[in-house]
Amino acid sequence: MSLAEVQRGTPPANKRAQALSIRGLNKWFGSNHVVKDLNIDVAPGEFLVLLGPSGCGKTTGLRIIAGLEIADSGGVFLGDTDVTQVLPKYRDIAMVFQSYALYPHKTVAENIGFPLKVRKVAPAERDAAVRDAAAQVHMEELLERYPRQLSGGQRQRVALARAIVRRPSAFLMDEPLSNLDAKLRGYMRAELKHMQHELGVTTVYVTHDQVEAMTLAHRVAIMDGGVLQQIGSPREVYDNPANRFVAGFMGSPPMNFVEGEVSSGRFESHGVSLPVAANGNSAVAGGRAVMGFRPEDAEIVAPGTGLFDATVYAAELTGDVTLVTVNVGEESLSVKMPKEYDVDFDSTVAVRFPLERGFLFDAGSGQRVDGAFV
Amino acid sequence: MTLASPNAAAGNGTVRRGFFEPSRIGELSPGGKLVVYSILLIWSAFVLFPLYWIVITSFKLPISVNSGPAYIPWVDFMPSLHAWRDLFDTSPQSPLAETLKPYRNSVIVASFSTLLCVLVGSMAAYALARMEYKPKFGTILLFVLILIGMVVLVGVGGVDWRIAVAVGLALFVLLARALSRYFKRRIGNGDILFWMISQRILPPVVTVVPIYMMFQSVQLLDTHLALILTYTVVNLPIVVWLMHDFFAGIPIDLEESAELDGASKLTVFYEIVLPLARAGLAATTLLVLILSWNEYVLALFLSTTNAQTMPILVAAMNGGEKGILWWSMCVVIIIMIIPVILMALLLQRFISKGVLLGAVKG
Amino acid sequence: MPAVIMILIFSIFPLIVSLILALSRTRLRSGGYQIRYVGLQNFEKQLFGSEQFHFLGTFKTVSAVGWLVAATAAALLIWWMYSYIRGNNLTVLGLIGRLITASLLFGLAMLFAATLFSGTQFGTLGVTLFYVIVGCSVQFVIGLGLAFVCSQPIRGRSFFRVVFFLPLMVTPIGIGFGFRMLADTTKGPFSPLWKLVGLGDFAWASDPWAARVFIIIGDSWQWIPFIFVILLAALENVPRDLVEAGHVDGASNWQIFREITWPQIVPVAATVMLIRVIEAFKLVDLPNIMTSGGPGIATESMTLHAFFAWRALDFSQSAAVSYLLLFVTVVLCVSYFNLIVLRRRAVHG
Repeated sequence: MSLAEVQRGTPPANKRAQALSIRGLNKWFGSNHVVKDLNIDVAPGEFLVLLGPSGCGKTTGLRIIAGLEIADSGGVFLGDTDVTQVLPKYRDIAMVFQSYALYPHKTVAENIGFPLKVRKVAPAERDAAVRDAAAQVHMEELLERYPRQLSGGQRQRVALARAIVRRPSAFLMDEPLSNLDAKLRGYMRAELKHMQHELGVTTVYVTHDQVEAMTLAHRVAIMDGGVLQQIGSPREVYDNPANRFVAGFMGSPPMNFVEGEVSSGRFESHGVSLPVAANGNSAVAGGRAVMGFRPEDAEIVAPGTGLFDATVYAAELTGDVTLVTVNVGEESLSVKMPKEYDVDFDSTVAVRFPLERGFLFDAGSGQRVDGAFV
Repeated sequence: MTLASPNAAAGNGTVRRGFFEPSRIGELSPGGKLVVYSILLIWSAFVLFPLYWIVITSFKLPISVNSGPAYIPWVDFMPSLHAWRDLFDTSPQSPLAETLKPYRNSVIVASFSTLLCVLVGSMAAYALARMEYKPKFGTILLFVLILIGMVVLVGVGGVDWRIAVAVGLALFVLLARALSRYFKRRIGNGDILFWMISQRILPPVVTVVPIYMMFQSVQLLDTHLALILTYTVVNLPIVVWLMHDFFAGIPIDLEESAELDGASKLTVFYEIVLPLARAGLAATTLLVLILSWNEYVLALFLSTTNAQTMPILVAAMNGGEKGILWWSMCVVIIIMIIPVILMALLLQRFISKGVLLGAVKG
Repeated sequence: MPAVIMILIFSIFPLIVSLILALSRTRLRSGGYQIRYVGLQNFEKQLFGSEQFHFLGTFKTVSAVGWLVAATAAALLIWWMYSYIRGNNLTVLGLIGRLITASLLFGLAMLFAATLFSGTQFGTLGVTLFYVIVGCSVQFVIGLGLAFVCSQPIRGRSFFRVVFFLPLMVTPIGIGFGFRMLADTTKGPFSPLWKLVGLGDFAWASDPWAARVFIIIGDSWQWIPFIFVILLAALENVPRDLVEAGHVDGASNWQIFREITWPQIVPVAATVMLIRVIEAFKLVDLPNIMTSGGPGIATESMTLHAFFAWRALDFSQSAAVSYLLLFVTVVLCVSYFNLIVLRRRAVHG
């Protein structure tokens, strides 16, 4: 088979990026229902991030797309093709593993060329393609090295090159940056985004790191307990979280939550009392509710001048901001203040934030009540 | 060319598959299933049939054995317990009257040598895994040379061996002190370990005649002690090798934190290290036990009547004026196999967990 | 280091004594031995003298086939030495080691050329090498095959694992007798089969080649489990990621085995074969029980040879044979270790 046949039309490759959809996917491991009725449509050339805590079913979902696991019900479609029952090798999908899964006994060049070798591409064409792919990840110099002689970042690049060398219809990536140190991770993140943009290949990316999700994704799909919680652009998910889980998962430090009750138009908790709009008042079943606000929306002010008073527990300078932790009743809340801000521990202060930036969630279902604060 | 292009899969959603291609990952294709299960069944038959034949033969009357093959009890022949009854019949006519004593010998020799071997070997392995030994190459060479000299003196010169040992020891100490500053090359733990393992290359037959003469000169021939000592030494390299790997695999942090908590080296070994190496210890014990239980050559040389072990007894049943009494022979083989199989079933989950693998990876 | 001292006493010391025995003539007297130094006479007797037929085999004029074999071996070895000398990692020690290996291999090639390929029988050295080379190869191939089969997704895996492991625990003596019963062409379980193919009164133990094959079957029955268990563990130890990456990269099952799994287990396989080869050189119980070394000396291994000499109270000949066995074993095993095992580890480690 010729290289052209494998790559089916050389760049610009985005012309042949395929849409990817998952319909009604269910997967059990024994009695454990790990993926529950998952429906996702990925547009051609889109970068979709599957985000969630460990054990939420995101990796299983990815492996089902790759064909490494078989769903108990539901289907996987690549373009117009139903690939649910197709072996991974016929799916035209490339995958980057968390461990990179480089073949330790093969050189970098042999690793990158492996997908072409097994497709019996002629050696000359193969070499050219390997060189091309290696150049794309800046690894041309190290083609004769073995994986064990490479640094973590270089291994990562080899894994990427092995994925792009055959120009697949879709990329799958399983936490590819999690084994790198923080600095390198930031750099590779930018590079990954650039490369995906350039190749224009449909990409599904699994991570538990919300920063990666925010920065990389065109759209983020957030999963918990095998259930898709919300799917949307990073901004949408950040500004309009569908429920308490999504709200708490996006953002760093996470959103502050205060548990309390809603009755006769007010949200009441220990030391907190806020007015609630009419639709918020009626939507919360049984009155139990959770109020939330983001640390970056709030500020610390003099006692009595804010929405509620609180006691300073600790103040930490993180570099660009000072993170102040305050206690209100049983709850511990964090507020981002300018880096010049300083405050005595155990002193009494007040917390203030624009009320329309507050969120209200039903304590039972966790669903967000739209427009609860105005 | 089995590669179907993804385009071929378009439309109907199915891919043309070969007979030997599975429909999904983690499953076998119909053809693969056929091949795999036939291989498994054929090999199971190859493994089990000899054992089956031994078992049924032990229940056969002489007539059923001598009249040609009989395969299925109650169909081809009437099973009988006569051979088994002989086992407990101590009258001289019974072909198995002499069985229980070697059996006891085997139990004693195998269990004591295994115990000793695992004890000494695991301590040596632990020492090699955790402490640095740097003996000087020259000192060892000197020791060996003096040993050779002693042996020549005793063997050819006819000097009393007690005098030779004393003189040799004194000479060694003196020379070692005097020459030690000229010895530069040191050997490390790795060399010691490799040397130990290389002892397995030594065919037992090379050493057994001198060992025979050695035990003869101290009048220990044909005793349990001689066999126990010999088996211990022969199996020591295996224990050291396997256990070294296990000890090396235990994170040293654990031991260091225990030592910081005030435990002595010995306490650390018994309280922390041994429990962690339990799986390896179990597998090693089983292996050594099987080896010494089944050992033949050394026992052949070193035991005659008193300390005779089971393999020797079985081998000796070969022949006799009545020909081989297959039924009795099978009884003896079965009672030899049963304890080992029981032990192995007990320990099999340790063994199958790739216990030997780590050591082999080296 | 009690262990080191114990091994020293029980290995170095006997080795020295053994050497002395091999270099002298012993005679049993009442209450002791008489030991007289005779130099290399014992070895001469084995290699060139009256025991030559027993140890090396019966020599005849080397046939054309024999010359061809010898010439091929010589050419291969010279080419091997040449490429080593031309290579860029030449060391004195490496050169000496390779010279020793090459000369021993050439000697063995000549031995087979002058016996096997010239139509006569070889002696115990040839028999031992036959057991080692043929036996170990067969065992490796079958052991690897079974391990591969058992690593597939199958039902009842633990059942097969236990069953396949069983033979390793059966005493070799028992195996010897068991196989003698099975091989009995008149009363054994397969006698109807033998009658069917017209071999009703054929006795395995009376034909040299049949007897050797017969012993290798028994040896394999016992030792394949050993190779199987370790290779299976090695196969299951191959990181699952690598295999899955292979699937996604588009490799077929066979390509995954050849390109990914096999290179991963090669170091283990090389070491396991080293252990097996070492043990195979010591083979003695099966030929002793199954054929008593017969017909003639056709199945007599070197250990058995030494044992027979000892039983005849000829301690010196016994020690001489043992030493020759030690020499062959050490040179071949060390060569194998240095040239194959270490290199595999360096490449794949």
